[in-house]
Amino acid sequence: MTSTVTIQQRQSKVTRWLLIPGIVWMSLFLVVPIAMIVYVSFWTQTTFNISSDPTLASWKQFFTSDTYTGSLWTTIRIWLIVLATTFIVGYPTALFVGLFVKSKTLSTVLLVVCVIPFWTSFLIRVLAWRPMLGKEGAINIVLLHLGIIQQPIEVLLFTELSVIIGMTQIYCVFMVGPIAFMLSRIDRNIIEAARDLGAGFGRIFWKIIFPLSLPGVVVGAIFVSVMVLGEFATSGALSGRKVNLLGNIIVTQVGSLKWAMASVVGVVLTIVMGIVIAGFLRIVDLKREL
Amino acid sequence: MVDTAVFRLEGVTKRYGDLVALNNATLEVGANEYLSFLGPSGSGKTTLLRVIAGFEAPESGRVHFEGRDITNVPAHERGIGFVFQNFALFPHLTVIQNVGFGLTHGKSGLSAAEVERRAVEMIELVGLSGMEGRGVDQISGGQRQRVALARTLAMKPKLVLLDEPLGALDANLRSRMRNELRAIRERLGVTFLHVTGSETEALAMGDRVVVLDRGTIIQTGTPGEVYDRPASPDVAHFLNRFNLFDGQLAKGSFTGAFGTAPAPRATRADRDVYAVRYDRVKVLPVSAKPEGPALKATFIASEYLGSSIMNFFDAGHGHPIEMEHHLSLGAPDIYEPRQDYLLTWNPEQAIVFGREAV
Repeated sequence: MTSTVTIQQRQSKVTRWLLIPGIVWMSLFLVVPIAMIVYVSFWTQTTFNISSDPTLASWKQFFTSDTYTGSLWTTIRIWLIVLATTFIVGYPTALFVGLFVKSKTLSTVLLVVCVIPFWTSFLIRVLAWRPMLGKEGAINIVLLHLGIIQQPIEVLLFTELSVIIGMTQIYCVFMVGPIAFMLSRIDRNIIEAARDLGAGFGRIFWKIIFPLSLPGVVVGAIFVSVMVLGEFATSGALSGRKVNLLGNIIVTQVGSLKWAMASVVGVVLTIVMGIVIAGFLRIVDLKREL
Repeated sequence: MVDTAVFRLEGVTKRYGDLVALNNATLEVGANEYLSFLGPSGSGKTTLLRVIAGFEAPESGRVHFEGRDITNVPAHERGIGFVFQNFALFPHLTVIQNVGFGLTHGKSGLSAAEVERRAVEMIELVGLSGMEGRGVDQISGGQRQRVALARTLAMKPKLVLLDEPLGALDANLRSRMRNELRAIRERLGVTFLHVTGSETEALAMGDRVVVLDRGTIIQTGTPGEVYDRPASPDVAHFLNRFNLFDGQLAKGSFTGAFGTAPAPRATRADRDVYAVRYDRVKVLPVSAKPEGPALKATFIASEYLGSSIMNFFDAGHGHPIEMEHHLSLGAPDIYEPRQDYLLTWNPEQAIVFGREAV
């Protein structure tokens, strides 16, 4: 009995030591900064100065200005669209890589292929869309030469569409990965059993494969959501400043030293992300699945 | 018993690249029969089952079921049930949803109420009443096995294929499920084909036992026939009940490590092997002068099995010899480890295989 107690004591001591680095790191770089942002959002901002006198002025300004609320809705709209497009493009890809490809080696190779664009920098990946989508870009040239169009399509670049195309390409792999992982863990015998019991492909997909891949969809959706909601570079580079996401607002506000307003937007963004993640986590019990 | 062949295999061959998984397998199975397939892993027994189920297409040969050639009929239209080795339950569904899956999502055309009635009936049949709403990760291994069985039986198949159904269960549960499986089968009057790597299971459960080796059916017979008259040295080996000696069969006598013994009734085989059942071996002190064949061996250890004791001897050159003493025949003799003894047996009871035999 005595020895059990000492082992437990020793273990709890070890546990404490193992926890310390994480706690220190998270406090310094997560808890304190967030508290700071919330605090600064109530500071008083004048044109050239900022003081810590508490005020709701910045918050009022955010919710009464069409620019700011409009950017909130744009962010949410783009997020939902990109979430849908990454899912629509990503799920069939994941289905192929994770389930239809029988060789583990080949499916690993295919996943690596999906990641190849990440070997270049984020900005280059985004900017590479300009010569693709532009008025004199690759797509227009090809379509003109083929005679499919007479006039170049101008809606391709510096519009919401180009932002959506760019984001879909960049974030799709974060949807593919988790879904392919969940699909690859499905016991093939289960699918065979369902077939033996007389279920057709549609039934097998909707009743067996899709429900079992749902945790992957949720994880992928969380990845994509977190990244898209905080985006500013893709919209900055591909929208010609026409699409202003909350991220872009933060960048401009910080650029003009409007710390209080930047903090308000930061807090709003953090709350939106929190709600989104909490919502996704309600769909499946990830603790049980992973 | 085999009056009406419900199911027939004709020269079925299946290859995976260069590997011949099934070689010209021919087999007839009657209605209401329990057939067990015995063979080491890689002997093709699972392939055979998968070909019958329709998960694999054979390269040549025909599969007949209920008077119909089903070689090219897809799995779910064959009316043959398959119970998977690891049960393959749908992990996100409850017990009753699993059992009713085929009825709900297949082509049964039953109403929801009928599906539920039949699923409940099947759950009752396998003794899981009250667990309908449980998730399949909330029940034990034995219960999962029953769910897998109920799910297959709910489709009312005429033939049920079981791929090592007891392999994932612990020993205790395994023997209980053995009785259960037989009882369920007898109640429904369905033919069961049961694949196993365990000779005890194969002999205990099958009305007939089919022994496979390297893709070939090497013996078919009742458990008694297979046990008493193994068709080849390989069968004797798989049964795990015989001490096997290499040697030479010539002119009605067999010469091996134990000397020369008369072998009047030998079975034809591609090599000369002398087989003595574990429980036919007698142990004598090393000074004894027995009449029949005798072999000096060192006692290693014994194993208590409840109804009998297994004694392990080493006859030199790492040749192990096992001797089983049934406790119903009296208290066991006590042997000294590392002591030499003389092992003997009645040559009448030995089984001899040889190239020379007729």
